Amino acid sequence: MTATSLPPNSAPRVRVRANRLVLYTVLVALTGLFIGPFGWLVLSGLKTPAELAASPVHWLPTDFQWQNFADAFNLIDFLGYARNSLIIALIYAVLVTLSSAWVGFGFARLEAPGKKTLFGILIGSMMLPQMITLLPTYLIFAKLGMVDTYWPWVFWGLAAAPYLVFLFRQFFAGLPRELEEAAIVDGCGYGMIFWRIFLPQSWPVLSASFVIAFTWSWGDYIAPQLLLSTDKSTLAVAVMTTYVTSAGTPVANLQAAASVMYVVPILLIFLIAQRGFVAGMSTTGLK
Amino acid sequence: MTVDQLPVTGRTGPAASAGRATPAAQRPRISMTARRHRAFYLFTAPWIIGFLLLTIVPMAYALWLSFTTYDGISPHWRYVGLGNYTELFSDPTTWNSLGRTGLFAITSVPLSIIAGLGLAVLVNRPVKARGLFRTLLYLPAVVPPVGVGLTFKALFDQNSGAANGVITLFGLDALGWLADPYARYVLLMSVLWAAGNIMIISLAGLQDVPRELHEAARIDGASAWRTFRSITVPLLSPVLLFQTVTGVIASVQTIMPLLLSPDGTTAGVTALPQSNYLYMMHVFSQYFALGRYGYASALLWVLFVLILIVTGLIFKFTSGVVFYNVDPEAKK
Repeated sequence: MTATSLPPNSAPRVRVRANRLVLYTVLVALTGLFIGPFGWLVLSGLKTPAELAASPVHWLPTDFQWQNFADAFNLIDFLGYARNSLIIALIYAVLVTLSSAWVGFGFARLEAPGKKTLFGILIGSMMLPQMITLLPTYLIFAKLGMVDTYWPWVFWGLAAAPYLVFLFRQFFAGLPRELEEAAIVDGCGYGMIFWRIFLPQSWPVLSASFVIAFTWSWGDYIAPQLLLSTDKSTLAVAVMTTYVTSAGTPVANLQAAASVMYVVPILLIFLIAQRGFVAGMSTTGLK
Repeated sequence: MTVDQLPVTGRTGPAASAGRATPAAQRPRISMTARRHRAFYLFTAPWIIGFLLLTIVPMAYALWLSFTTYDGISPHWRYVGLGNYTELFSDPTTWNSLGRTGLFAITSVPLSIIAGLGLAVLVNRPVKARGLFRTLLYLPAVVPPVGVGLTFKALFDQNSGAANGVITLFGLDALGWLADPYARYVLLMSVLWAAGNIMIISLAGLQDVPRELHEAARIDGASAWRTFRSITVPLLSPVLLFQTVTGVIASVQTIMPLLLSPDGTTAGVTALPQSNYLYMMHVFSQYFALGRYGYASALLWVLFVLILIVTGLIFKFTSGVVFYNVDPEAKK
């Protein structure tokens, strides 16, 4: 609805313009409210400990302490933890994307007795509370001596994730039948059809799935906290728990700076991969 | 590597030898249907095996543990039957933490949905830079939990937090936001911060609403609110149902109280403010602070059954209300 669709009478135009003004004010205010908290984290990371302890609040740092970001790197082995996070996230994201594509192909393109039931279980398992299954799984991994190794993430990766399986199923189900028919006539196995024909077609879903899985793993806190000792753990755990002085008092300004550096890569990945990410989310949310 | 080779080599025992003994000339006789069946199970195997080993087995193990006094250290654990269950049901902490969890779910889920839907309607209007607004409003939803926890701890810190900065500007006393009784509101706000998630999903739904419906309603003189209530909401109802169910499940298992606590580790769970001592935190404290794996497993199973019941009830009570717009082209 635009102003031009209204009769050329000045009164409604003024009203439309006033409405616009209200709309923009509300939008800007809400956006400020949503971005504000993160801005405050950045500001907290740029203050001195004295400024953070002061009451009433110091709204802005007197001098921006950019040094905090460097200090946050040095107080703990930031790069080491970031590397651990990266390795775990890559292991998990690559494996789970491939396994979910593989399983998704099965549900999209093949038939067998029991398929309906299995698909029902798949969808139902998306709603299983993961924290409930994680705690006994942790005990089992501990019994198998896999604490402090990255094996749990290998297994989680190989086991495919229902949400991503569904994403791939939706995509593969939408591709034309002729795609595999010719290949079947040529005597191609389904494995070959998947690898040579379907997978190369699915770059948008592959990248969406990779980004989603990567952010899951990067953001995960409880699994690495339980399964890995402090120096083998991930950045999420390190940022949350290791910013303390030797006396045990938290170093709030460096912790804030560190959490900014922990979060920003995820925000950047999202901004770069935005379109695929959002498309994937809305597909699974709706259909 | 083709699929029709894999099941044969993968099989063991008599079946495998029978498979190998089949003369090569007979192989093409395996019907297309049989091949497809075999391929289906081969393709879905990673998920089926993974689901069995990483979900069913752990849950069964937890069920077994829930009948014991197992604590991971003492070799003298024993089978106590339903002992853990009678203990947990007679412990007021169970009921109190369950009540707080219920309250949290009943407030956070509807508020998130209302906020997300409201934002979706706003950024669906033809405004300038609407892509930018959408991105910025959605961005907090991708912040990982640890980032959310630390952001809200910074925002609501008693001394250095912006929240107390604002209220002292109005001449009010600074509040201990992260302690009782206010911690629950901080928890609620940390959930609402991710309302962009529901916004994006609803937005996709809003864009699927046929234009003609809106135009017809306008010609009939329906108000904006009426159009929203009678056209937009019913068409979005499957999305909203999905969001309700996943929202309830997410709020039951949230670890945000832990991330908002001073310590933040699973060992520090005992130092939580009362008002954020949710059921899952009670499980954590039994599991990690006390190492009572048997008892904590009983708590987990009770929660699991409760979630199944609640989810079932939500589906049952919405079955007449939710409107599924079946796209004829989507069906084969």
